[in-house]
Amino acid sequence: MRFLGSALVSFLVLAGKVLTKSSSGDSVLVLLDPSLSRANYSIFFGGLEQQGYDLTFRAPKHASPAIAEYGVPNYSHVILFTPDTKSYAPDVTPQSLVGLLSENTNLLIALSPRQTPLTSLATEFSLILPPPGTPLLSHHPKRPEPANVIPVSVSESPILTPDTNPVWFSGVPHALGNSPYLVPILRAPSESFAADSTDDSGSGTILSASDKGGEGFWAGSHIGLVTGFQTTKNSRAVFAGGVELFSDEYAKKALPSGQRSGNAQFARDVAAWVFQETLTLRIDRTEHHRVNETAAPEMYTINDQIVYTAYISAYDRKTSSWKPYSGITDMQLEFTMLDPHVRIALPPVSGEPGKYEVQFRAPDRHGVFKLVVGWRRKGYSFLHTTTTVPVVPLRHDQYPRFLSAAWPYYAGAISTSVGFFLFSALWLAGDVKGEKKNLKGVKSE
Amino acid sequence: MIPRITFHLSWLVIAAGVHAATLSLQSPRVTISSSDATQLLSDTLPSIKRPEPLTLGASDILKLTFQVTENGEGKGVQPHQTFLRFYDSVSGEEGIQPVRVTPGGKAKFELNMARPPASLPPTTDRPLAVSLILGSFVHDPAKYDLFDLYVPTSSTPAPHPDEASFHVLPPIVHTFRPEQKLPPKVVSIVFAALVLSPWAILLGLWGKIGLSVPHLVSPRILPFTALLGAFEVLLVRYWVGLKLGQVLLYGGILAIPTIFAGKTALATTGEWRAGKH
Repeated sequence: MRFLGSALVSFLVLAGKVLTKSSSGDSVLVLLDPSLSRANYSIFFGGLEQQGYDLTFRAPKHASPAIAEYGVPNYSHVILFTPDTKSYAPDVTPQSLVGLLSENTNLLIALSPRQTPLTSLATEFSLILPPPGTPLLSHHPKRPEPANVIPVSVSESPILTPDTNPVWFSGVPHALGNSPYLVPILRAPSESFAADSTDDSGSGTILSASDKGGEGFWAGSHIGLVTGFQTTKNSRAVFAGGVELFSDEYAKKALPSGQRSGNAQFARDVAAWVFQETLTLRIDRTEHHRVNETAAPEMYTINDQIVYTAYISAYDRKTSSWKPYSGITDMQLEFTMLDPHVRIALPPVSGEPGKYEVQFRAPDRHGVFKLVVGWRRKGYSFLHTTTTVPVVPLRHDQYPRFLSAAWPYYAGAISTSVGFFLFSALWLAGDVKGEKKNLKGVKSE
Repeated sequence: MIPRITFHLSWLVIAAGVHAATLSLQSPRVTISSSDATQLLSDTLPSIKRPEPLTLGASDILKLTFQVTENGEGKGVQPHQTFLRFYDSVSGEEGIQPVRVTPGGKAKFELNMARPPASLPPTTDRPLAVSLILGSFVHDPAKYDLFDLYVPTSSTPAPHPDEASFHVLPPIVHTFRPEQKLPPKVVSIVFAALVLSPWAILLGLWGKIGLSVPHLVSPRILPFTALLGAFEVLLVRYWVGLKLGQVLLYGGILAIPTIFAGKTALATTGEWRAGKH
């Protein structure tokens, strides 16, 4: 009964996933600051709704609808367009947002030069923000817009559509910590820097900030503007330095070169990544068996030839389904007991989509081993699977039987046996003539 | 909302006065001296990028002086942004170093490799492209490529502990124990022959004295001999392929007739030897 129940639940979950646009659900909660006009973000929100997302809007200070109830998130994704909000309803705290991420809810967060609870949340994700009130400025290129409204060219990234036009940006930059879980999406132009001055006499404060060393100075193309973070549970968070990036105003604003700005496309791509539509992979199942067999044995013997197979799918947003995926070329398989004893490439099998297979020889060490596949690349879902298999030494009768080095010993043993047999046969069957004669002689005497 | 509007307005007011004039660089000069103040190089920089790269030793000091002026005339100005950019085009590493400019537009920058600034990016054996970025709220921005600079290779910063798992890891091959070494078969054959050689002596001597087995096929003796032979065959079969359990079973079954056959056979030979027949 219990099994039936869990089967029904998993079926319902599967059925639900097939109908949605995102691989992790289509309900979205939008926390929108009252100072922001919803109409100014109609392109972004309208695009999401057109895609099949179910948007629920809420002011940050309203208590309902709740983000999570009894520790279970109510929404698959949360957008926090509250760059200037300092006080929230009690259910929105940095801790509760981290809790959402660990429950596989995705977050899209907009920051601003103002110090808010979200600023300290960003710090927990290894993003280092400048002091409050220091927006990103750039005097390059020459343009009629003020120095804090900056056209930023979009670099190549698997997350973004290739050849996206430069985007307008206005907001706060952040330095990136050395956490490998960060996924840089948009970098600042190399001429830009963070400063709070509004005229040329402010150059002195820039110098004194840089003299502090460390993270005292935010400048150059190593500074991030929009940065993603993928957790080990594969939920995703994106921190954008400014909410205007997603606005209709910037989406329609022409670039200094006269081209259309790439903001609408960029916002769509960022949302697709953070909502787990793109670059989402999973391991469907794994198999292992001895070469020339098909079923997994209960245990392997040392030096066995083992065949390991993994089946991997990627989420296809066009059809909202999982499709076999053979695009990974650098996956590795480890055969581990405390430390990996064997680490080899696990390449895709040509002609069989989604199948990755490798054959290797089990080490001549016995113990409980694990077959481990761990694949982490920036931007992609992390893949991880382990299978425990015991490896045993040879049984007493599995060793080679007829060694040439032992021939003298075989000869000796066989000699002894044959000798015993011959002696027994002769002794039993033979006649003792001399003794008999003697006995006869004694009798006759 | 109100503070946001005023913030933007203040930008706009400034923006109205922007781009009045251009900034230019006057008398840029680069000097490299060693730690004991010996001047190794002193040169004025051309208006385009210096063709040959500069090289800076581990304890050398690079000095860069210039004046920022308006429209290329004598009047010096202090721009908002005077940054030196060090850029490694291959690794993409970049360092930005602000330069102090006096209100008269004069600037002096010193790079002491004995104490490199934190803004200097991690370096390799490739040169860093050094450029000067000028920006201002009232003047047009400007960017000058100055020169390529070789600096000593820096030590690499410690990566995050999880960083390695984001890259292809080096393959690991298990080192198997070497296969068991066997002596040449000739040696084994020689020694096996040596072990078997007593048979030759035995058979030779038997041939001399002659053998007589009158009771071999006697019905009281033959079963016991045959059963002893069967035991020998069983042991050979054990060696070749049987398991211990099977051997014990078959041996147990064989033992029962062997006991009776042996008793009969031994009693019979006893009688013969005692001369009762």
